[in-house]
Amino acid sequence: MLEYQIFFDYAPILLIGFWLTIKIVVCAIALGIPLGLFLALGRRSNFVIISFLSTSFIELFRNTPFIIQVFLFYYVLPFYGLRLSAEYIGVLALAAFGSAYFAEIIRAGIDAVPKGQLESARAIGMTDWQAMRNVILPQTLSIVIPPLTNQTLTLIKESAILSTITVHELTMTGLMVQGETFRPFEVFIMVALLYWALNETIATIMRKFEQNTKKNRKAGSIGNSSTTLKKSTSIK
Amino acid sequence: MTSNFLELKGLYKTFDNITALNNVSLNVSKGEVIFIIGPSGCGKSTLLRAVNWLTPPDKGEVWLEGNLVGSSSSKLTIKEAKLLNNLRAKMGMVFQQFNVWPHLNVLENVVRPQLVVAKRNKANAESKALKILDEVSLHNKIDEWPDHLSGGQKQRLAIARALAMDPILMLLDEPTSALDPELVGEVLIVLKRLVNNGMTMLIVTHELGFASEFGDRLLFMDGGEIIEEGSPKKILTMPKTKRLKMFLKKLDLTSFKH
Amino acid sequence: MKFDISYTFDAIPRLLEGAFITLQVAILGFTLSVLLATTITVARTSLNSKIFNSILAFYISFIRGTPILVQIFLVYYVLPVFGLNLGPFTAGILAITLNSAAFVTEILRGGLASVPIGQFEAAKSLGISGYALWRKIILPQTFITSIPPLVNEFTMVLKATALLSMITVVELMRVSQQIYSANYHPVEVLSGTFVIYFLMCFVVSRSSVFLESRFIVKRAR
Repeated sequence: MLEYQIFFDYAPILLIGFWLTIKIVVCAIALGIPLGLFLALGRRSNFVIISFLSTSFIELFRNTPFIIQVFLFYYVLPFYGLRLSAEYIGVLALAAFGSAYFAEIIRAGIDAVPKGQLESARAIGMTDWQAMRNVILPQTLSIVIPPLTNQTLTLIKESAILSTITVHELTMTGLMVQGETFRPFEVFIMVALLYWALNETIATIMRKFEQNTKKNRKAGSIGNSSTTLKKSTSIK
Repeated sequence: MTSNFLELKGLYKTFDNITALNNVSLNVSKGEVIFIIGPSGCGKSTLLRAVNWLTPPDKGEVWLEGNLVGSSSSKLTIKEAKLLNNLRAKMGMVFQQFNVWPHLNVLENVVRPQLVVAKRNKANAESKALKILDEVSLHNKIDEWPDHLSGGQKQRLAIARALAMDPILMLLDEPTSALDPELVGEVLIVLKRLVNNGMTMLIVTHELGFASEFGDRLLFMDGGEIIEEGSPKKILTMPKTKRLKMFLKKLDLTSFKH
Repeated sequence: MKFDISYTFDAIPRLLEGAFITLQVAILGFTLSVLLATTITVARTSLNSKIFNSILAFYISFIRGTPILVQIFLVYYVLPVFGLNLGPFTAGILAITLNSAAFVTEILRGGLASVPIGQFEAAKSLGISGYALWRKIILPQTFITSIPPLVNEFTMVLKATALLSMITVVELMRVSQQIYSANYHPVEVLSGTFVIYFLMCFVVSRSSVFLESRFIVKRAR
């Protein structure tokens, strides 16, 4: 009943789609995380307009389905004269969607840093920006990496929705192959397995990384000071 | 304008319904060491944090060496903010909870503010840091991470970090209150040296022995006001007001005279 | 082309009908998912079977590791191959139920863990067991603790219903597509749709606070 030949014949083309999925997600987080940082800081800003705009953006993108955001990007961008290919539109939409979630993660991370840290930075004469950059944000980093990774996994899954605007990522490719072969089971199982494998790989790496960090912090110094004469142990 | 080194004029501050500062004024001369004591909630921390405008008072002004640190009536423009940051760098603050930066090692904690705020070059900043860390007896810990330091070491690091900015005034908010008793001494040694070097200091503390030995002036605060003021030995041995008498009794002071 | 809001207003009546379908699908799917997840949770705790736990782990891992859209396609396109010809509506509900149940199971697991073990022991000593134990004592506490994540999961279900438009279920998203393929004004119609989705999800997520206050558990310690 199971046509094994399908797996071999069509694996290459599915992998091409898979590769595009990966590229799109990488670009989306490269754009999305900085934007999320900007939104998180904006939300905390003392300027009411910036705070309102940031909060609005975040709430609008978190409280609507991704599919409608994708469609809006697809139809609205040409409206403003931006004729981009579906792939680029997809990246922008995924980045915008991701940034709203990234922003909340980063904001929670910033709030988690003890108040005294900001106070000591200000007391020593740092501007708010210097305090953020030198004292708060570095501490946010270790807090924020696990949930950011989690959100990346979500973005990988949401990217499947880009198939609806004909981006030739994994899901779209799967639909096309299915249309050709009329073997939905084999095709979608392959598609699902590829997503699942990517998901598990990243999740496992993250877990190992977290365990490693905890271990190192307990054991001894992690040298990364530029003045240290000892060779530093680096976390890969 | 004023000829006093540090001047606090008419400070008021309320939090919700609690008056933390009620028309507090204070003049401090250069080189003076002033201790502030009082029951919790009396406003002593609020007073200290008003000096460097960390907790801006609702009303009043603070002047340091003739420069306006802050005034309740002015909204901070960018130029004024810059001036405030410069003045803050001249006032070293030490917190009860140390607030050392855990993501930087000991040396970096002392170097970074010099680079970022004082804009010194790396070599100068590092050599100064090493010198000061030596003075607070942390020279053998420069590569350590703050996580691995004892409370006393962390506080000495915090003091070193503040001293690296060449402050003219030190503000210490219960510097030894969070320390285990056996670690208090090492911090007091460092503070002693600062006093002997002529640093102007405002210290909020419960260490009355230390206060009576090294203080030029002692302030007793309660309910947001300075109730008694004078030489530590005199105030502690001959309290005038009932409130101070009650406070001292609560601390059971029979053995403070070392 | 200028944005002509009259197209948005014209579309609203039909869009609202679609929104109503969306809500029905979401509520039905979520309810079934909670029932399924509750059954699984009780079974997991009561059975203590290694096989059960392995299958469960596999199921949860699959659901959490793959896109909902792919799961929807799997149910819609693959089941007919095995002879099960569900219509789009049923297939959609099934896919959403199976998807959501995995997440709700994990939510309930967390909620269950926060129920003090003393509750089980006290009940046992009073002779309460089985159905009554769960229905009257354990599950209520589990659910009340889980209100925030459950409300959040319902929002996710609401948003997922939009994907059913891809298997021809006529919910809000599909209606919106039907309208603008006829009047060629996608931006206006989609904007209206966007606002409706936003209002639905926003109201639901804010209701979490309200629900929590209604169900405050006064804990005797």
